[in-house]
Amino acid sequence: MADKVICITSGKGGVGKSTVTANVATALAMKGYKVAAIDADIGLRNLDLVLGLENRIVYDLVHVVEGVVPAEKALVKDKRTKNLYLLPAAQTKDKSAVKPEDLIRIVEELRDKFDFIFIDSPAGIEEGFKTAVAPADTIIVIANPEMASIRDADRVVGLCEAMQKPEPKLVINKIDPAKVARGDMLDVDDVTQILSLDLLGVVPEDKNMVAYINRGEPAVLFPESIAGRALRNVAERLLGKEVPFMELKVQEGFLDKLKKLFGSD
Amino acid sequence: MGFMDKIRGAFGKPPAKEVAKKRLQLILKYDRAGLPPNAIDAVKEAILNALKEFPFVDVEGVNIHIPESDVDGKIEIEVPVKNN
Repeated sequence: MADKVICITSGKGGVGKSTVTANVATALAMKGYKVAAIDADIGLRNLDLVLGLENRIVYDLVHVVEGVVPAEKALVKDKRTKNLYLLPAAQTKDKSAVKPEDLIRIVEELRDKFDFIFIDSPAGIEEGFKTAVAPADTIIVIANPEMASIRDADRVVGLCEAMQKPEPKLVINKIDPAKVARGDMLDVDDVTQILSLDLLGVVPEDKNMVAYINRGEPAVLFPESIAGRALRNVAERLLGKEVPFMELKVQEGFLDKLKKLFGSD
Repeated sequence: MGFMDKIRGAFGKPPAKEVAKKRLQLILKYDRAGLPPNAIDAVKEAILNALKEFPFVDVEGVNIHIPESDVDGKIEIEVPVKNN
C-alpha cells in the first residue's frame, strides 16, 4: 500500500493534529488494520493523552533512537482498540534528539509489521517538522478555517514541495456551520480553493470533543459524535473509499426560529 | 440574504469571510513568492520613475506582477513601447 506512512502536520499549533491522528488511527484499527501512531512532538508529548495511554509508557522514541530498546519494544498497546499501538514522544528531550534519518530508520523497522504508520508532527516548520515528514508517503495538513492556520498550512505545503514530497491532502478541522451561515467564517470551498489541495476531510466543531480528550477516549469510538463520524470518514477515504462529505447543518436555536417567524431569513 | 447579512449590509460592511478570503489570497500570493506584502508597489514605483525619462516607453501600460503558479520566485515586468 502506497499510503502506508502518513504524517499529520499543520504549521500552526492547536489546530487538532494529535486529535486527528488519534482518531483516524483508532478508526482504522477498529476496522481490523494494524496501526502504529508515532508521537514525533519531542518535549511536548500529547498523543498519549488523547488515547488515554499516559500511564502505560515505559520507553519512548528517544530510547529507540539511542538504541536502548528496539522500536517494537517501545510500543504501547492501546487499552481499548485491538491492533493499535503508540510510540510515545520523549518528554524530557528536545526536537534535536531525533533526526530525519533516525525516524526513517525506525519507520523502516516497523513498516512490514503494520498496515498503517501515523506520525503526529510537532507544530512549526523547523527541524521537528522536517523529521516528522521525512519518512512519510502521504502528508495530511490540518487547517482550521481561520487566517493564521490557513497561512501556516500554505507554508507547510510549500516546504513539502521543496522537500520533494507528494502534495499534502487537506483536512479542515473545527468548522462551525453557524458561523459559516452567518458569513463570519470561511467555508469548506473557500479554504480548499485558497490552499488548492485535495480535500480528505471536513470535521465540524464538536462541543463534546473536550470531554472525549479529557477522558482519553477518541471520538470515533462514539457513534453519536459528529466529529467522530467525520473522522471515521477520513479513515474510509484513506482506504480509497468514496465517502460523500457530511452536510454541515446549523443547530437552530431560539433566535433562529424567531427570525424565521418574522420572515427575515 | 440572511438576517445578519441585512444588518451588516445596513452598516456597509461585507461579510467577514469575504474579507478573510481576499486578505488570504493576497497574503499567500506574496508568501508563496517569498516577497514582502508591499513588494510590487515598491518595485513599480522605482521602475516607473526610471522609465519616465524614455519617451518611447508607454509608462501607462507598464505591468508589474507576480506570475500565477510562480515556482521560481520572480516578478514579471512588461514594458510596452509606443509604436508611432
